[in-house]
Amino acid sequence: MEGSGVLLVCIFVPLLGAFLLPILGRISTGIRNIAALLFVLTAFIAAAFALPQALAGELLLWRLELPLGMSIGFFADGLAVFMALTSSLVAAIIVFYSFGYIEHYDNQNEYYMMVVLFIGAMMGLVFSTNLILIYGFWEISAVCCWRLIGFYRKKDIVLRADKAFLVTVGGALLMLVGFIAIYIQAGTFDLMELRGRGLDNWIMVLILFGILSKSATVPLHSWLPDAGVAPSPVTSLLHAAVLVKIGVYVYARLFLVNFQLEPVWEVAVPAIAAVSALVSAGAALVENDIKRIIAYSTVSQLAFILLGLSCGTMVGAAGGLLYILMHSLAKGGLFLCAGIVEHSTHTKDIRQMAGLARRLPVTAVSFALCAFSVMGLPPFGGFFSKYMVINGAVQSGVPWMAPVFIAGAVMTVIYLLRVYVKVFFGKLTHPDLKEGSWEMVSSVALLGLLSLLAGIFINIPSGLVSFIVESMGRW
Amino acid sequence: MNGISAFLTVGSGMNLLYVMILLPFVLALLCLAIPKQSYAAKAGVFVLAVVANLIFAFGVFRAPDATMLIPWAGFEINLALRIYDFSRFIVIAAAIIVFLVGLYSVSFLRRKEYAGQFFFYYLLTLALANGAFLANNFVVMLFFWEGLLVSLFGMLVLVNKDNVRTAVKAIVLSGTADLLLMLGIAMTCMHAGTMMMDAVNDLSVSGIGAVGFLCMLAGAIGKAGSMPFHSWIPDAANDAPLPFMALLPAALEKMLGIYLLTRIVLDFYDLQPGSTMSLVVMIIGAVTLFFAVSMALIQKDMKRLLSFHAISQVGYMILGIGTALPVGIVGGLFHMVNNALYKCCLFLSAGAIERATGTTDLKRVGGLGKMMPLTGLCFIIAALSIAGVPPFNGFFSKELVFDAAIESHTVFYVIAVVGAFMTAASFLKLGHAAFFGPTKLPDDVKKEDVREAPAAMLLPMVVLAAACVVFGVWNRLPLDMIQPLLGDTLAGQDFAGWPHSMTLVLISLAVLLLAIINHIIGYRMTGEGIKAVDHIHYAPGLRQLYHCAEQHYFDPFDILMVFVRIYAWLCYCIDRAINWIYDVLLVRLTSFFSQSLKNFNTGDVAGYMVRSFIGLAFLVLLFVLLI
Repeated sequence: MEGSGVLLVCIFVPLLGAFLLPILGRISTGIRNIAALLFVLTAFIAAAFALPQALAGELLLWRLELPLGMSIGFFADGLAVFMALTSSLVAAIIVFYSFGYIEHYDNQNEYYMMVVLFIGAMMGLVFSTNLILIYGFWEISAVCCWRLIGFYRKKDIVLRADKAFLVTVGGALLMLVGFIAIYIQAGTFDLMELRGRGLDNWIMVLILFGILSKSATVPLHSWLPDAGVAPSPVTSLLHAAVLVKIGVYVYARLFLVNFQLEPVWEVAVPAIAAVSALVSAGAALVENDIKRIIAYSTVSQLAFILLGLSCGTMVGAAGGLLYILMHSLAKGGLFLCAGIVEHSTHTKDIRQMAGLARRLPVTAVSFALCAFSVMGLPPFGGFFSKYMVINGAVQSGVPWMAPVFIAGAVMTVIYLLRVYVKVFFGKLTHPDLKEGSWEMVSSVALLGLLSLLAGIFINIPSGLVSFIVESMGRW
Repeated sequence: MNGISAFLTVGSGMNLLYVMILLPFVLALLCLAIPKQSYAAKAGVFVLAVVANLIFAFGVFRAPDATMLIPWAGFEINLALRIYDFSRFIVIAAAIIVFLVGLYSVSFLRRKEYAGQFFFYYLLTLALANGAFLANNFVVMLFFWEGLLVSLFGMLVLVNKDNVRTAVKAIVLSGTADLLLMLGIAMTCMHAGTMMMDAVNDLSVSGIGAVGFLCMLAGAIGKAGSMPFHSWIPDAANDAPLPFMALLPAALEKMLGIYLLTRIVLDFYDLQPGSTMSLVVMIIGAVTLFFAVSMALIQKDMKRLLSFHAISQVGYMILGIGTALPVGIVGGLFHMVNNALYKCCLFLSAGAIERATGTTDLKRVGGLGKMMPLTGLCFIIAALSIAGVPPFNGFFSKELVFDAAIESHTVFYVIAVVGAFMTAASFLKLGHAAFFGPTKLPDDVKKEDVREAPAAMLLPMVVLAAACVVFGVWNRLPLDMIQPLLGDTLAGQDFAGWPHSMTLVLISLAVLLLAIINHIIGYRMTGEGIKAVDHIHYAPGLRQLYHCAEQHYFDPFDILMVFVRIYAWLCYCIDRAINWIYDVLLVRLTSFFSQSLKNFNTGDVAGYMVRSFIGLAFLVLLFVLLI
């Protein structure tokens, strides 16, 4: 179809460009860095070009027919474009931040290659027309994540990378069984042909394993806090831009757009989410490692997203999608701030630092902006997404879920304040500290600012989101 | 000037609605942007902002009813604002207080390092409060309302960056209240089927309505600083800059909270006098007023004492409005206005004393009346008002609340009257200790240096004190604005003028007399004004209770945190247990299986053959059976 070239650009520039980076890196690190950023930005711009057509309701489609009813294809609807824009925007900022963060470490060529490949896989997954493609890109992302978590190559770090890989791949394999079961029943992997079909509960369980392991939901979450051993831009990428969002995106893609679920899942999935939100919020309050705390916070916030998407109301679904955006911006910022703190103080233990606001003023303010957004305070973007999710839960068949999540939100306020206050206020512990490099500082400031602007100009993202949920046509 | 008046007379008043929110916000950013060195420029912008806000609020006050709506977040969340009786009244009341406290702050904060940031948060608070008052969409109101947490946090970390416990406490308590409000709003909107505030009328208080009502109630009283969301306020008295206390806990937060409470009781929900929910609200009010004033009684620091009164006074308002009787609602609203006037005035005079002597500790200062007569006069007028002495404003609003309380249940009336006794007693103590008796000053302060505050600080105090007199003597002035807010509920009643029930007035006067007698007895016993209530403080039984209270044993924040810690620890154990499954159990199981399989691989070829045949036989058997 006309204009679908833009999709191929969006996917294949980062996906194939990634393999150029090590070669470029041998010529010049500067060129490699710029190229990495350009590849990611290209994806963002290409996704932006796909936006007008997606909003006009025209389906951008590119398809290659294969034997046995198989096909390879990519298509862009509102949901896909929304997710692609969110991911590539945050990813571009993270890549820019990496310029400052990663420059003193070994294996930079591999680092940039894996990061860009990761984003390429995300783009591919977002636009895929069939289940097998989704699975394929899903596993590419798992490999990238495995290499990136183990970036520092120490033994215990590599073990944790293995753990992340095994848990997510284990889940993915179960999901693959589910996909194959769908193929056996329906004779196709193609999403558009499968649209509107019902789904057996046992298949749903299998797919849910994949989704919940990728989106780090209790009890499949424990690899995510452990992944905090990765370099901060990587954790940021995992938590904010790409990895954990894959799970919830696929949930939206399969169960909001494509399949019809039995009503029991409108209670079961919110219940799983509630447990996840509460348990991880409690754990976040006990941890003392700044990155682990923020990681538990991710687990908790993902539960909000899942609640919104699964509760079966339009406002809830819209809130869940907005939550993906707001959480990406804010959580990305929080991890990058944690990176600056870790970089400067050489520790992640919040008991060993205090008063850093005096030495890291920009980081402190950015952290506050992002933390307020995650807490759901206005005028930050997180407010609207949180309200809509709660509103959706109240209107759904499980209104008693809303108070549970309000309790989770109170816990969010408590544990984020605890980190913020312990790290940035009190008696200064590191008097000779310096603010991070300008790339790092400007990245966190930008994410903080975007969190704020996304709240004040909420009409822009919410306009897109309301278009998406209305075109799902199931309310 | 012509331009402004032309602007003000623009019939629609629509532009004003934008300006009320955007102007303070933009000027707040400007305040922040101006470099630290030029305090004059910062202060200039700040004063411009509060003056302009006052003028525009006056414009709103004169503008006809209007609504406006711009699409915003979709899903019915539209930026809807509305000018009508209530928003008109509350916006102008807030603007006056904000202007006076603002004027005072400029002088008070001179040479303070954090002045610029304070101005920024001050104007941000103003913008958000205006937005909350004018909003006509529930979610938009929540947007402005909850946004105040940000400026609250900012103001509380300004002074003491080494210890921000108070800020954390404030945000956790207020944040909990605000999140409950979020839930309440979601439920109310679903109950009503709309998010427009003017379209929601008299919802039934049962089923989801009851939960929605209670959650919204929590939000309203949480902002107003009622129990159990109150305990950060006394701490803030020590840690926050004084103008903050005069602005937020004393005035603006009360206005916000009571505004919403009144809307809930009057408009959104159909609260019947004597119903269970009405009882719930009244109990919250009675408990708040009683225990907070009991704590105020024993305080020895001026700011801390006043902060407990800031909590206890809101108890009267909630009690009055909770009765759901017209006299109670009018009384509650009138009390809110009066409280803003006298409580601000009291805090501002405490600030004048702090500026002159460097402390507000009553053990270190005394006899200031001779050195600061005007401050003393303002203080006394405000104290007489809060104590409920006729003909000052507090007397009239309190009588209305008493009237409503006795009509509901005698118990509430008795509690309210006992509260009034303690209020009077604590102010007798405070006034006596601070302004009368022998001169007492901290060692590092010379007597010659103690003098009246500059005019910019005195003027707001004098204006507020004068207003206390005017609103008492001519109470028709405020009541003519308040009473129409009730609409049909009022049923033609008029509460202006002298209180209707002479019996209640006599009882109140007797209580005041008792307080004076009590003070004299206490003074005779100890010989010092500051110790005039020690006979109550150290009475058997009470002494231990007070000790526990001072040790924060009853602090809802501390109690909440204990539960949260236990809960968090439990969650952590669960999390560790799950982690153990991955890190230990799965690893052990895997190695167990691989070890077991390894044992088969002995290298014995004959053994392998046997096993292969057995396997083949098994498969064949399976195949045959299946066919």
